[in-house]
Amino acid sequence: MKNRIKAILKTPMVIVFIVILLFYTPFAIYSPGENRNRGVVTALGIDKTEQQYEISLLTFIPTANQSYQEKSSVISGKGDSVAEAVYNAQIAMGRTIGLAHAKTTIVNEELLSEDVTSTIDYLSRIASLPENTVFVCTNKSAKEMLEQSHDLVNDLGLKLEQIIAYNANNLYVTDTSLEAFYKGYFSFVKSSIIGYLEIEDDTNMSEDNSEVSGAENTSEGQSEGTQGSANSTSANGGAKNKHIVNQGQAILLKEGKKVAVLDVEQLNGINLLNDKSVGQIIEIEDVKKEDQIFSMQYKVKTKKVLITTKFENGNPIYMAQLILGVELVEVDGEHDDLRINTEFSEITEDISTKLESKVKQQFTNSINILRENDTDVIGIGRTFFQNDRKSLKKFIENLGGVEEADKFIDYVTFKLNVIVQPE
Amino acid sequence: MSYFNVEKEVKEAKKSLNECVDFSYRYFKRGEQKIAFVYLKSIIDPSLFSSAIYFPIQTYDDKFTFEVIKNDLIKCVDIKEVKKKDIVKEILDGRVILLTNFSEKILSVDLLKFPTRTPSEPPTSPVIQGPREGFVEDMQTNITLLRRRIKSQDLVMDVVRIGNQTQTKVCITYLKGVANKKIVTLVRQKLNNIKIDGVLDSYNILYCLEERPGSLFKQIGNTEKPDIVVSKLLEGKVAIIVDNSPIVLTIPFIFIEDLQNSNDYYTNHHYSSFVRIIRFLGLLIALIAPGFYLALQLFHYNILPLNFLITIADTTQGLPFTPFLEILFIFLLFQVLYEVSLRLPSYLGLATSVVGALILGDTGVKAGLISPPGVIIVALSKIALYTIPEQAPQITVLQLVFIVLGGSLGLAGIVSGMVYIGNYLNNFDSFFTPYLAPYSPRINEDLKDALLMNPTYSMRHRPRSFSPQKKERL
Amino acid sequence: MKKISINQCGVLIVMCIFANKILLMPSLMYERTSADSIFVLALLFLLDFIILPIFIKLKTLYPDQKFYDVLKEKIGIFFTKLIYIAMLLFFLFKCLLVFSITYVYFKQQIYQDEFLFIALIAFLPVINHAVFVGIRSFSRTIELFFWIVIAGFIICLAISLFTPISSPLFFMSSVSDFFSSMHNHIFAFGDFMFFFVIMDRIDFKKGNIKNLYYYSLFAIALVITLFYLFYAKYQTTAFMHNNALADLLVFSVQFNAIGRLDIIAMLTIMLITLFQMEIFSYAFCDCFMGIFPLNKIYSVVVFDILFLLLYYVFIGRYETMVVSSLHWLPYLALLINYLLPFIILIIVLLKLKRNKSG
Repeated sequence: MKNRIKAILKTPMVIVFIVILLFYTPFAIYSPGENRNRGVVTALGIDKTEQQYEISLLTFIPTANQSYQEKSSVISGKGDSVAEAVYNAQIAMGRTIGLAHAKTTIVNEELLSEDVTSTIDYLSRIASLPENTVFVCTNKSAKEMLEQSHDLVNDLGLKLEQIIAYNANNLYVTDTSLEAFYKGYFSFVKSSIIGYLEIEDDTNMSEDNSEVSGAENTSEGQSEGTQGSANSTSANGGAKNKHIVNQGQAILLKEGKKVAVLDVEQLNGINLLNDKSVGQIIEIEDVKKEDQIFSMQYKVKTKKVLITTKFENGNPIYMAQLILGVELVEVDGEHDDLRINTEFSEITEDISTKLESKVKQQFTNSINILRENDTDVIGIGRTFFQNDRKSLKKFIENLGGVEEADKFIDYVTFKLNVIVQPE
Repeated sequence: MSYFNVEKEVKEAKKSLNECVDFSYRYFKRGEQKIAFVYLKSIIDPSLFSSAIYFPIQTYDDKFTFEVIKNDLIKCVDIKEVKKKDIVKEILDGRVILLTNFSEKILSVDLLKFPTRTPSEPPTSPVIQGPREGFVEDMQTNITLLRRRIKSQDLVMDVVRIGNQTQTKVCITYLKGVANKKIVTLVRQKLNNIKIDGVLDSYNILYCLEERPGSLFKQIGNTEKPDIVVSKLLEGKVAIIVDNSPIVLTIPFIFIEDLQNSNDYYTNHHYSSFVRIIRFLGLLIALIAPGFYLALQLFHYNILPLNFLITIADTTQGLPFTPFLEILFIFLLFQVLYEVSLRLPSYLGLATSVVGALILGDTGVKAGLISPPGVIIVALSKIALYTIPEQAPQITVLQLVFIVLGGSLGLAGIVSGMVYIGNYLNNFDSFFTPYLAPYSPRINEDLKDALLMNPTYSMRHRPRSFSPQKKERL
Repeated sequence: MKKISINQCGVLIVMCIFANKILLMPSLMYERTSADSIFVLALLFLLDFIILPIFIKLKTLYPDQKFYDVLKEKIGIFFTKLIYIAMLLFFLFKCLLVFSITYVYFKQQIYQDEFLFIALIAFLPVINHAVFVGIRSFSRTIELFFWIVIAGFIICLAISLFTPISSPLFFMSSVSDFFSSMHNHIFAFGDFMFFFVIMDRIDFKKGNIKNLYYYSLFAIALVITLFYLFYAKYQTTAFMHNNALADLLVFSVQFNAIGRLDIIAMLTIMLITLFQMEIFSYAFCDCFMGIFPLNKIYSVVVFDILFLLLYYVFIGRYETMVVSSLHWLPYLALLINYLLPFIILIIVLLKLKRNKSG
């Protein structure tokens, strides 16, 4: 026996096997599995009602042989702080909350009336919550939003995300994640943009959805398009009296507070100098051709941006040259001969001037909004900083130090030069 | 004057062999001259005996002398004189002993013949292209197969006998001037030190040769194909041929050899590299897939993509076992099925695989005993195991270890396990050769024949891992 | 004596250079010096890098002698033991720091519940075994996994390029901040000291000594790239992200089908941590055996006891460990990283002079 033990001890591999099998196996056998005692949260919403926070969690609770819709439900908890509300929600759920798959965080507009960071501080401290969780705002309560998304037959925990992803990729300056919010919040200009989705009461279900919402904003071609798609999803939801509307809007935040709601046109204006954002529709009216008057719609296909900055007599000047490659997509007017269409593709001087002025107008409008609120979300100051740091520092010191750096945009003179080319 | 009392000697021999049924003898008398032939009839060639020994003696008219018999009459190749005490041993080796009453010398003629297989393609390593010959049980044939391929005066073949009872011939083969002398000496020393009753197969002496007996890992290579042995001899290794075994051992052995397949050298090297990578991936999957799956399920649900998580959660919900027990159960189920299908005759094997795969798997899932992802993962790892069938026993044991590690410690356990095995194997130089060469330590010249294979014409050096005496291949 | 090759030595250098720098340090540094931390890092690396030629010179002058014997011969046994005790503590705390930083990463990102127990029973046996099998075996293992680790590292860096990044703003911090940050983070450096300890176990005959420079420059370049990409990606929120290498992998737009790639960072970090702990614990045990001529098993047991004691009793929480790495440990590092090489430099110069005159 003694020899045997000695022989075993001589081969360390055997010892390791024994140790592993004897000591580790019980842990393994005992362990019931993470996914069995956790509720997997796919989206969470925060509301504030009468000094109390309400947390709603769109939770996936696995049950055999049921569809996603049946397995997920919105569970909510209330408390004086967000942490307490989450704790209460957890109690209500009876499972530990797993936030690692929470892809969407929704807050209601009311929360944005004061600095939102105090609310989402809890979220920023949870390590398991992915930083790239989508961060959006809604006009009514976040809970309703989650319920809406949950009720849709399509698993809207993902669907909601897709709508926002579309917005983020095509409309917003940055993506609308928690991370992006904080990035703006901690920058010198203390401002950021987050997505905005609306919930609307359906007053008349018999009417066609797209008509109802289309009536609100007919001037904007693109918003019509996005609205249509969002509405069609909600139409799938069946006879509900509320539905989610995506008008491509975003909220402009300054120091964590809401200062303005930007619509698609304003967002496009802000994004004008961002060469990644293309696909906007520019509409011009009163184009004369062969004694007829048309209104024409052009789509931006390519964009080239050249930016230079300088200080002239200590005054900052921001010069941008914008080369737009456009394509004619629609002609409205009394033209019965379709062959004429080919002639329209030529960009005459008249059209070019009109397009340029339209673009400039759009840009000025957007810049004015940013100026009013001292929210330099497009990084004007940053460009100055990179190009001529000394002068900028001097200028800001004259303004009153770094604390006032966000007001810099008010003093910038913009010179925009637009060149339109047929694509 | 008679030197031998022939009858007495024959009787003695018969007695020493315990009067076996196959013991035979025959006398030839002419006048005073007597010749006795003693042999075991079961292992000699009777027709050759009559035509090459008996017939010439019978037809010879003159007086017999020992020299005449030895040099002129007997028409066999292998003739030698032996001493009286060796008679029994010689008979057992399938020789015919000639005793005469006119000479004190004893003649032994090799007439050994027993039923043997002809060299055929070994079932363990079939090839698509390349030579199909395989070793057989007869050592002489095996040596012939090697000799046919290496026509070099440097080929050394030393025979030692091992086994007190079986007296099995064991042949050490290597290329003089190529193989490392240290390795040859060590192998010879180890063979001489073997104390064993009988050697039935090369596996009997395998464990006596290992530098770390009792270790899980394979330390000595084995093959059934002469072309592989020759290529290994050319690399500077030592081969050991054991009589009555078609499996030839090669020393030293490194891990990468099992990733190499003889097919690789007979096809395009790009394809061979690809196949080797697949084999390596198969090895990895076989090793850690079940443990990894368990770790994800038990500890790291957060890194699973949501859709996959939903699938897993769906299917594992309501199972009576915890995830670890479930995987263990499936693992054992597969292992049992494997053992059964291996042992049963092939017509029954098919039936069991149908029962195993369809009935047990499918019904198990339907009955809510096991989950489909679990079955898939374990099945995948079990199939991947056979991308390197030579390592299957080792990997099967390690699979179990990784299941326990993954189930109890999660990913940290799996990573630690890998690093531990790495440390262990790197401390594991058998026959002066690093086990994980050429990757650790990195030997750049040898990488030509590693995972990414270079064309064979570019392999001008023998692998440095085996420290051959002559480094150039020319 | 089992010796390691130049190639293995280079691989060890890379692992040492990664130690303590790829997870927490970028965000810690950012708090004080923002993006200028890259320059702090580069300067500290430069100071470290000077040690390498000193080491190579010493090694060529005393090819087969132990570092302990060299010191004993030159500065006497008392000071040698003192230096060895300092080094012993240095490596012990480095090992602790590596473990505690990785531990926090694991706890936050991988294991949802308490991980300490798991980490200890998963890692400590492997580390102890590595000390037993010796430097040649575990450096071979590191060599085996080296390209896997590097590939993981580079994938983490490369994936960060898929998200919008813009160049961080440099030269924002003051000079005093710059130097105090240098002082604070000095403990994470000085990794070349490990090679003095194992001086007699390196075989300089095989391979090109220049490769050592290439390996260390490669590792330094990787770490600096990591810092740059991390700051470029996170900009103002860099201080909120404690696990630089892992956080680089996080997509900002996660709507694609790739799913989560965290596993790459996890495996890379686990392997790197394990290897670093092996290296530092080996260095500890070697220093211990230098001071007390005892069996290997005693040194391993002492290491385990000290490690566990310090972790539970003295350091306990991760914050304390990090804070002490910033406050009092830099003084220890100053002694080891700069004073000791200086002494060695003098020894080398004296020896060279004697060789010339002799």
